[in-house]
Amino acid sequence: MKFAIALFSSPSAPSSRRALRFAEAALDGGHDIVRLFFYGDGVHSASANVVSPQDETDVARQWRELISTRQLDGVVCIAAALRRGVLDEAEALRYRRQAANLPAPWVLSGLGQLHEAAQLADRLICFGGD
Amino acid sequence: MSRSLLIISRQAPWSGPTAREALDIALAGGAFDLPIAMLFLDDGVLQLAPGQKPQNVQQKDLTANLQALPMFGVESLYACSLSLQQRGLTDTSLAVEHLDDAGLRDLISRYDQVITF
Amino acid sequence: MTTLHVISSSPFSDNRLSSCLRLLGHGDGLLLCGDGTYAAQPGTSHAEALRALGEGIALFALDEDLEARGLPSADWLQQIDYPGFVALAVRFDKVNSWL
Repeated sequence: MKFAIALFSSPSAPSSRRALRFAEAALDGGHDIVRLFFYGDGVHSASANVVSPQDETDVARQWRELISTRQLDGVVCIAAALRRGVLDEAEALRYRRQAANLPAPWVLSGLGQLHEAAQLADRLICFGGD
Repeated sequence: MSRSLLIISRQAPWSGPTAREALDIALAGGAFDLPIAMLFLDDGVLQLAPGQKPQNVQQKDLTANLQALPMFGVESLYACSLSLQQRGLTDTSLAVEHLDDAGLRDLISRYDQVITF
Repeated sequence: MTTLHVISSSPFSDNRLSSCLRLLGHGDGLLLCGDGTYAAQPGTSHAEALRALGEGIALFALDEDLEARGLPSADWLQQIDYPGFVALAVRFDKVNSWL
């Protein structure tokens, strides 16, 4: 089956880790992930600036690694990201902000990408809250 | 044929950006001509309360965006009767179909996908 | 179409579970995960309400969350792991997470 996975929570939320484990299990089970779409507070799960204490799970890093190693399409909603201070190089330049914290493999895009993924996938599953 | 999406909005208008971000998903889907419906449930019905003055708390007017839903092709709008009644809402700022629990169960079962905020 | 409802917040702190219970349809499933597993705590009104749902609703709990919280296994709940979670997402026609 094809999954579209949407995440609405930050990396410190248990639901972010749960979404990660679900994504891994889906891929290991032979399913495809059409897209990961990070919206709302989920944009923080894509931040490259999260510094996790050494004795804690670095969920943001694990998301980045999952997307890189499995070559997944990881999209962060631009509107949600801007209002929360998650910017790539282009947006940091455009808005003259101090730092960019959204490098590759993440891509900033609009809600159309969520809808497209929902149309392409057999199942849309959302994680968040907590 | 396009997959249909039901968005269930459960948050009060200014409890953070959630209500607005749920609405943005509906409006975006409507702009892409997708079959979208919105259901206001629990505190979500408070978004429909008339006479709000969001400028008092330096918030944007959600009501105007809600009223744009039909213009974006999102005409299937519903509210939970019990949620409205519990919160003393007899009037709403948007025309929505009121559903009892059986109606809500039927609504959810009819849609291909659901996102609950 | 059937729905797998997912509850991840404590039923003692908000009304997600109680609203969900009103909206469950015959043939649906309910998965407790995260703090949602506290609904399975024996001797609580939530556990009683879940047990009373009957055979039309399939009940599941994520094993890692039950065990992490010291909650006992229950014969009225099917404990699943992440591959099981994925299988549920496939089995039911759609997934509704109560975010």
